[in-house]
Amino acid sequence: MIGGGKRMKKWLKPMVLMVLVLFVAACASGKKPAEEAIKAAEAAINAAKGEAMKYLPDQVKTLEDGLTAAKEALAKKDYKAALSAAKDLPGKANDLAAAAATKKEELTKAWKEMSGGLPKMVEAIKSRVDILSQSKKLPANIDKAKFEGIKAGLPEVTQMWDDAQKAFSGGNLADAISKAKTIKDKAVEMMTTLGMQVPAGAKS
Amino acid sequence: MAEEKEDAWDATQWHEVKKGETLWKIAETYYGDGSLYTKIFEANRDTLKDPNLIKVGQKLRIP
Repeated sequence: MIGGGKRMKKWLKPMVLMVLVLFVAACASGKKPAEEAIKAAEAAINAAKGEAMKYLPDQVKTLEDGLTAAKEALAKKDYKAALSAAKDLPGKANDLAAAAATKKEELTKAWKEMSGGLPKMVEAIKSRVDILSQSKKLPANIDKAKFEGIKAGLPEVTQMWDDAQKAFSGGNLADAISKAKTIKDKAVEMMTTLGMQVPAGAKS
Repeated sequence: MAEEKEDAWDATQWHEVKKGETLWKIAETYYGDGSLYTKIFEANRDTLKDPNLIKVGQKLRIP
């Protein structure tokens, strides 16, 4: 029994060493794929980020959070987790780039419509307000206080439209659309209060 | 011939003349003041030659 124990000790040392070598080798072999996956993910996210940040910032954040998780796993030498977190990110980044392009197309279309239509609405309102201001008595369906409110609010609408155009010229399409929608809502409200017909395009 | 596409954002205000209406009466409806009928007349000079001669069914621009 004692002799057997000595024999075991003799084999134990190289065996433990071998296991250790194998373990280190296994760990080291997982490092490179994980690093490469992270590198590829980072490159793909950076490529998609520029346009996507303007139109889908939340989705960019989700991808960046995924990348951070992969990097943290790599730092903790958990290569399996790092690879797992990073491997799908390039595909998701490509999908995001495509989604951002679609969103940009939609917003451009919406801007084109509104930038053609809103000035017509504002002009029609201005014309009506100008004539009603010359009236000795407002029509029964128009409240005097509301009319005065519209009159006072028109310069603000004009200013907002200038701001929307500046945002568009500056490449901030999402902001331009957001401002244009606010103007549209205000214009619709004004037209309704003045008893005017609201254009079909502004109703959607 | 290609059909002209309707502009969904056209904000022109229209009124279809009904029996018994005059420009004065239409101006009273929209502006509360009949004496502003000249605004409607001026906006429709392409189709109106005389402010006293409007026809039932005629479509007028209301500025």
